[in-house]
Amino acid sequence: MTDAKVAAARPLTAKARIARMYRDGKLTTILLFLPPALLLFTLFVVTPILNAAHLSLYRWSGFGEVTDYVGLKNYSTLFAHSIFHQSMWNSVKIILASILLQIPLALGLALLIYRKTPTNTLFRLVFLAPYILAEIASGLIWSFMFDGDYGVSAQVASALSMPSFYILADKQFAFLAIITVIVWKYFGFHMMIFIAALQSVPGELLEAASLDCRKSWQIVAFVKLPLISHAIKLSVFFSIIGSLQVFDIIIPLTNGGPSNSTHSIVSYLYTFGLTRLNVGYGSAVGVALFLFCVFTALTYKRLVIREGKSA
Amino acid sequence: MATVQFKNVNKCFGATEVIPDISLNIPHGSFTVFVGPSGCGKSTLLRMVAGLEEVSAGSIAIDQQDVTFVRPVDRGVAMVFQSYALYPHMNVEQNIGFGLKMAKVPADEVKRRVHAAAETLQLDQLLKRKPGELSGGQRQRVAIGRAIVREPKVFLFDEPLSNLDAALRTQMRIELAQLHKRLGATMIYVTHDQVEAMTLADQIVVLNKGRIEQVGSPMELYLNPRTLFVAGFIGSPKMNLINGATAGRFDAHTLGIRPEHIDICHDAGQWQGKVIISEQLGSDTYLHLDVPGAGNIIARAPGDASFTAGQQVGLAPRNDCLHRFDAQGQALE
Repeated sequence: MTDAKVAAARPLTAKARIARMYRDGKLTTILLFLPPALLLFTLFVVTPILNAAHLSLYRWSGFGEVTDYVGLKNYSTLFAHSIFHQSMWNSVKIILASILLQIPLALGLALLIYRKTPTNTLFRLVFLAPYILAEIASGLIWSFMFDGDYGVSAQVASALSMPSFYILADKQFAFLAIITVIVWKYFGFHMMIFIAALQSVPGELLEAASLDCRKSWQIVAFVKLPLISHAIKLSVFFSIIGSLQVFDIIIPLTNGGPSNSTHSIVSYLYTFGLTRLNVGYGSAVGVALFLFCVFTALTYKRLVIREGKSA
Repeated sequence: MATVQFKNVNKCFGATEVIPDISLNIPHGSFTVFVGPSGCGKSTLLRMVAGLEEVSAGSIAIDQQDVTFVRPVDRGVAMVFQSYALYPHMNVEQNIGFGLKMAKVPADEVKRRVHAAAETLQLDQLLKRKPGELSGGQRQRVAIGRAIVREPKVFLFDEPLSNLDAALRTQMRIELAQLHKRLGATMIYVTHDQVEAMTLADQIVVLNKGRIEQVGSPMELYLNPRTLFVAGFIGSPKMNLINGATAGRFDAHTLGIRPEHIDICHDAGQWQGKVIISEQLGSDTYLHLDVPGAGNIIARAPGDASFTAGQQVGLAPRNDCLHRFDAQGQALE
């Protein structure tokens, strides 16, 4: 090895690295663009989290001075609360429904309509429409649909000469109704991710596959799906994080009822923290949710989305 | 007998007719090259054999069986694509054996055939690598390996060497020729590079605007081009084509003569020309000349011959090597 090669192979000192970054302009870029981003992130993300963590150690109604320090009592109350357990379980059920129903549905439809044709464009628009609607509007539409007196379910019951049934008031079916609405609302979003991924699969690869495979499902299973695995992993990630944050579909549909059986973690936070003027307790729920999200995201990233090996 | 027959094949994309009407026989065991400029329909023709493009009218038969409406996988063909089309999530072994696995060939047999192909193509050390970890030439070999293991009736190559650098292209060209000799299978090869066509083919099909201009062996096309287009397309540097009074003296609309068929004499020749530029390639020297009455002419001189720009030289075209064409571009007897 020549001296020059040896010198090149030796790791640079911090000072030399900074000098090189200054020479190639990287340092200027960092100094110009990083502070505004850091400032915004600190203002709108880090500060509220730290603030919530601080408030979670107090009993505080949201008005007046924050003085009533209770330590970890809010947390102990939270983890002992059966409705919080139910909310956690409901969030897990939403995650499972998203992964087991929503993603396969979105994937199936994407495989059917990913090719660029006028008909497919129309179908894409139709399937994406629920996602474009505001969550609250979707919740209200479906609450009318499920209304046992005047909604579609009432008309169905009447057509079948059955007594009226009130799905959203039934402990057995209310959460199933919520899951139905969530799947309906978000499958279009995942479908669009899959369509974009499928459209980026090189045509020659699919042509090669058509020379290799006798059945269409073989092309899907052995070529298309592995080639869009990065999009599927990303979609599952969005599903999990989105499921943990479900709120504004539950409020117009059931408001957490009947008997607090359909709360998600966020609607639980809203109901037991904000509407009951127990901001300290709500903050504890928020911190627990944040930690749960961070844990889930990191675990998922570590286990599934391995850097540079996702494709 | 894996022959390929095109019968009155027509192909339209919407209102655009790319192949008006082609009938052609490709004999068993031949290495047939479709050659022509971009957009002449050569790749479309190949893709129709593979079943990747539908035939608008007419029929295609492989091994005497009409395959016009047969699915690509059932035609008994294997194709090597320009971009190699290797599955990026599979390693070399899986890529080569994929078609066999899908055809439910027993695992032992798949392994045996994959390893045999890998050995032939010198890929045995690379079987566990993904395509992203291979060089262009190695990827090309994997693509060929994938075709070989299927033991197809017909091999189809769609400009397989165009993504390789010049040195690798020459090497792969030789390997393909050897492979054809060893397998003895029918191969159809598409290229716009007439050097590839000349060196690989035992039958060349020259296409122009979706029509066959001429079919024949490389030397047949080189020595006896039947049309002006073939005369200009086959050969590098291309044939000199002369119009006007000079051609008229030979009772032709256009006169063609190849650079190597013009002798250069320092004293007076049949034509007088002024050297514009002299290209010394080592083995040969190509002179670009301005010849009054004939226009720009290229002539070949020995590699060690030295000429300077502006120098006057005499040119003596060999009369027995002249090609005469009529106003429609057809060769005159």
